[in-house]
Amino acid sequence: MTDHAESNVPLLRAEGLVKTYPDGDVRAVRGASVAVAAGEFVAVTGPSGCGKSTLLHLLGGLDRPDAGEVSFRGEPLSRMDLDAFRARRLGFVFQSFHLIPTLTAVENVQVPMFESDLPRPRRAGRARELLEVVGLSHRAGHLPRRLSVGERQRVAIARALANEPALLLADEPTGNLDSSTQAEVLDLLARLRAERGLTLLVVTHGDEVARAADRVVRMKDGRIVEA
Amino acid sequence: MGFLTFIARNILGRPARTALTVAGLGVGIAAVMMLTGISRGFERAMSAIYEARGIDLIVVRAGISDQLSSNLDEKLGATIREVPGVAAVAPSLMDAVSFEEANLASVLANGWEPGSLLMKGLRILDGRPLREGDGRDVLLGRVLALNLGKKVGDAAAIAGEDFRVVGVYESDSLFENGGLVVPLRELQRMMGREGMVTGLVVAASPGADPKALGEAIEARVGGVAAVPARDYVRSNVQLRLARAMAGATTAVALALGSIGLLNTMAMAVFERTGEIGLLRALGWKRRRIITLLMGEAAAIGVLGAAAGWLLAVAGMRALMLSPTARGFIDPSLAPAAFALGLGMGALLAILGGLYPAFRASRLEPTEALRHD
Repeated sequence: MTDHAESNVPLLRAEGLVKTYPDGDVRAVRGASVAVAAGEFVAVTGPSGCGKSTLLHLLGGLDRPDAGEVSFRGEPLSRMDLDAFRARRLGFVFQSFHLIPTLTAVENVQVPMFESDLPRPRRAGRARELLEVVGLSHRAGHLPRRLSVGERQRVAIARALANEPALLLADEPTGNLDSSTQAEVLDLLARLRAERGLTLLVVTHGDEVARAADRVVRMKDGRIVEA
Repeated sequence: MGFLTFIARNILGRPARTALTVAGLGVGIAAVMMLTGISRGFERAMSAIYEARGIDLIVVRAGISDQLSSNLDEKLGATIREVPGVAAVAPSLMDAVSFEEANLASVLANGWEPGSLLMKGLRILDGRPLREGDGRDVLLGRVLALNLGKKVGDAAAIAGEDFRVVGVYESDSLFENGGLVVPLRELQRMMGREGMVTGLVVAASPGADPKALGEAIEARVGGVAAVPARDYVRSNVQLRLARAMAGATTAVALALGSIGLLNTMAMAVFERTGEIGLLRALGWKRRRIITLLMGEAAAIGVLGAAAGWLLAVAGMRALMLSPTARGFIDPSLAPAAFALGLGMGALLAILGGLYPAFRASRLEPTEALRHD
């Protein structure tokens, strides 16, 4: 693929995604199509149960659609090794942080690096650099239970950057934070996007996040009603 | 952070559960090591009785399960001595006596002829060996002398009769060190078995095949079994019981240990469903998840084996405090017992860790992440 062609291809594209869960025969996503350009900040909003998180999981290769296709830089996910795709191309940030309680902050940041080519001796150094980026170098040796919720989310963001992904997917990243911490995290995401050229796709209930985004995709009853 | 560090953090980060699992495994492994060690110690002690004296055959009443219940006319010794290939024959009467004042039950009492083949295996530490013409004179094994607090010249009450301690000996056999030797005639009189013995031991001439010699003796003397010493030790009823108990305990310990470890690992997987989902979401491959959980199970297995080693050594020493066991149990554990403990730990880790690890690897990331 040429540089020119690559520049015309969205970083991420979804076409006609359908996902039905067998328990209760719920159609969580009903024919959703969306494209995200490289460097873009897209917020996905909508009421609870509208299918936002399911869409995020399908876009991030955490789940496979019943119909439709997701492509990353023009390559369909259905033809990819999804484990390798998630490990090397994506960073995930979750509402409840999902830090491993027995590992320190700097060790949590290193967890995705097991699936990278980064040599072991360089992992700790890189993890410390990332903690410095999120302003937590002084908390590197602390276990998650010794960190505030805002600090935990910043460690989770540093972890999401571990393998230098092109795309960061976040599911309600400010959902468990108070308003001042929400603002700090949003500022951090904006800074990372500016400094690293990250593409952001954020599922949110929060108006603050939606206002910070370049574009808002609204969902209702499993369908995208505004892109 | 290396993979081993990750495993260590997961184990040490949940100290209560790890400690309980390790303790459970350790108890099972220690029980197996101790029972196996005791049964092997018995075997070593019994073999030493015969090997140190160059005894090749044991002649007992045919069909008996234990030498103590054997009853033979001591005159058979003269008949056996005439069989070609027999170098020496010695009669032996065995019984068990107790020393209630020292809380010792079932002390091995041997009735031997002074100067016989059987006396050869005793090293006199103090005093003298038995002589022709001795009567109520006794040799005490080193451990028995210690347990009774007796020395040469002291009086000792044996089965209600007063004996004089004329010597203290040491033998390569732990049984004999915990027992005593009196003149054959005295023991026959005391037990009301005049002219009778429980067995005859035979030394073969150089070059004679013990098995063929045994068959020749059985052909010459009806109603007896002449068994090669090694086979006799192996077929000993107490040893067979000890081995069977060790085998059964191993099976039970393996079953309980596997179930315990399976339960722990299954609980670990259940509790950490969200964490495993996260690892999958971050791109960890299924085989890395299996390696992580199997690594944790292996580490717990190794810790369980180490705990088992410590408990087994402590348990053997504790057994030595028991008056009934003292003098009959070898407190040392052979390297094979430690290898057995390690092997059990490894086997339990594989059995207990495999299914939960495989199950965890099958978790879908989205399903697992919803768990938290």
